[in-house]
Amino acid sequence: MVRTKRMVLFVFAFVMLISMVLSGCGSSSKDNNDSASKAGNTVTLKMIESLTSPERTEVLKKMLAEFEQQNPGIKVELISPPLQNADTKIATMLAAKEDLDVLEVRDITAKQFVTNKFIEDLKSYTSKWENYKTLNDSAKMSANYINNTPYYIPYGLYQKILFYRKDWFDAKGMTPPATWQEVYEKGKALTDPAQNRYGYAYRGGAGGDNFTLMITQAFNADQINPDDSMFLKDGKTIFSTPESKQAMDLFTKIYQEASPKDSTNWAFSETVESFVSGVTAMLINDPDVIAVTKEKMKEGTWATAPIPLGPTGKAPRFVGAAGWGMTSYSKHKEEAWKLIEFLSNPDQNLVFAKAVGLIPIHTTAADDEFFKKGAYQPFIEMNSKPDAYLMMRDATDYQGYGESKKIAVEDNQALILKQRSIDDVLKNWDKYWTDQKANQKK
Amino acid sequence: MKNTVKARKPVSSQSKFIFFCLLPAILMVGMFTFYPFFRGIGMAFQNYTLFDLTDIHFIGLDNFKTIFTQPQFLQALSNSFYWVFVSLIFQFVIGFILALLLKKPFKGRGVYQGFIFYSWAMSGFLIGIIWRWMLNGQIGVINDLLLKVGLIEERIGFLSDPKWSLASVIVANVWYGIAFFAIMLLAALQSIPDDLYESAGIDGANWFHKLFYVTIPYIMPTIIASTLLRVIWIFNFPDIIYAMTNGGPAGSTHILATYMMDKIMFGGDYGQAGAAGVIMIILLAMYTIFYLTATKSGKGADF
Repeated sequence: MVRTKRMVLFVFAFVMLISMVLSGCGSSSKDNNDSASKAGNTVTLKMIESLTSPERTEVLKKMLAEFEQQNPGIKVELISPPLQNADTKIATMLAAKEDLDVLEVRDITAKQFVTNKFIEDLKSYTSKWENYKTLNDSAKMSANYINNTPYYIPYGLYQKILFYRKDWFDAKGMTPPATWQEVYEKGKALTDPAQNRYGYAYRGGAGGDNFTLMITQAFNADQINPDDSMFLKDGKTIFSTPESKQAMDLFTKIYQEASPKDSTNWAFSETVESFVSGVTAMLINDPDVIAVTKEKMKEGTWATAPIPLGPTGKAPRFVGAAGWGMTSYSKHKEEAWKLIEFLSNPDQNLVFAKAVGLIPIHTTAADDEFFKKGAYQPFIEMNSKPDAYLMMRDATDYQGYGESKKIAVEDNQALILKQRSIDDVLKNWDKYWTDQKANQKK
Repeated sequence: MKNTVKARKPVSSQSKFIFFCLLPAILMVGMFTFYPFFRGIGMAFQNYTLFDLTDIHFIGLDNFKTIFTQPQFLQALSNSFYWVFVSLIFQFVIGFILALLLKKPFKGRGVYQGFIFYSWAMSGFLIGIIWRWMLNGQIGVINDLLLKVGLIEERIGFLSDPKWSLASVIVANVWYGIAFFAIMLLAALQSIPDDLYESAGIDGANWFHKLFYVTIPYIMPTIIASTLLRVIWIFNFPDIIYAMTNGGPAGSTHILATYMMDKIMFGGDYGQAGAAGVIMIILLAMYTIFYLTATKSGKGADF
């Protein structure tokens, strides 16, 4: 008898334990229904962000609070994974069909999410959305980047500009560089290792691929096929030309003669830190750095300029984007769209873009004084000269895009460390992209 | 009839009870260890990329062939060797010295012990980030100190120069792992009965003899088990490298664990990552068998 009692007790405890474990790691779809029944039809939306930073999450949370206030029936639960490998985490959650309604989609993840049918086609919603018309061209292009279908609504646009130490340039009586050749020459003039001062914040580590690509494209300029930017109009890769060799040669010289030796393995944070702490004089980066420089540097010591041009006076440019999309399996699609619509409306977008340091997505924002002067000026300048700053389509729809970034960084490091030759490296990239193209057609 | 059942019942209900007691553990281990383990092995033979999850199929040994032809993989393999053994030797020797020093009671020992064990309580990523900034070639504090002391004239690119980078990440790893050996060995040292030293002293043993003929043999099982565990952990420990150099520059600090992570982070290629994982399992299994046979540690240790 005692034994039976003990048995019952034990089985009971065991069932409790298992149910706790299962509810802990399984999908929590039940929670939604539970809370809905308790709080009188409150819908809880789960939302995940990718390009997380503490400051940005705070801004986002404020916006979400306002949304909840306007929509008493909807609650939003925000998940903010750490920036590093957030996209991998999101992809894993999507593959496991975990409860998510709204998610951050980036230009580089969109193709993957669409191929795997993770995210919803938003056409039926955007066709009814009054503010869709005021989206600017870049935002529309980014939204409809995959299959000409709006899979996400950008919350802002990224586009690189040059940051430079105005005081150092003024002291030497120099103007900011207009071309890559000038980046080299002026950077070299400003370099003085004795003072721990260097011309250029070279990015050799993660993300450095953006810059090797930027300079090779600037040198190839008009020959590039703008819709397939790793390739020329004649179908060969951009790495096959003599211009690319000149570009990489110049870029290696920029590293060797105008950049800190240590920058071989610098990524985002080191380059930005070196610029704001007065080690480097030039930095090419996205507009979100403006918020950092504004905070950490004295006014008048720094300024911004358009990206450097190639020898023919042209420079291809990309507009990066990230935004909000909806999972294909969301149970609360109407509410999810309400949230996306709220976040993407002109006034909210302006708040977000200003706080985070992004180019806003609505044409109406061009009238805002904030973006007309100062650090944001180069964006307007580049937009007004489409013949010099050629708009390119990034190669994100190739399977090897992600891996190519890693290869570009490693090969370039081997190059600047003199372990490999320019010809060797370019041949490798040429082969890689030729193979990519061949595989894609299959 | 009734009697036989009654006679048997205690046994069967006891084994049932044992089974039910074990069940949660079996389920947990099955769910969180064996399922991912076998799934990973399966992926190693599949075309499994995040880019297109709609096209998953078996491709035999292709993933293994691909990674074996990559020079980065071979470099990661040889780096893993240095990473594990250099880290281990320094961690062990310094940890052992600390444990010996901490054995004798002195004023403030508890506080001092706390400081020594501190590094073990930190996350690998955090340690990596801290060392990454300290070793920064331009604005790092270590270069600054060396310059001020006058040991160097030009800043050293600890993490940007392939000659230094592997040594730098190993230093960070040594710093992290000393605490583990200090804790384990101190616990073992405190279990050595004092009379052993006393009688050794009567026999005329000096400090050196006591160390090699009493202390070390007595704590041998702990040494074997802790070094065995540490080798496996260090081998599987990508955190510090990932945060400090991400395998760079030019792959000079990749070990197999970070190489595998790289395959997922950049390529989203779970197949090749799985293949790298299978190779790691094989290497570790071979090492464990070899080590346990070589040290004849049938009895193993007491934890």
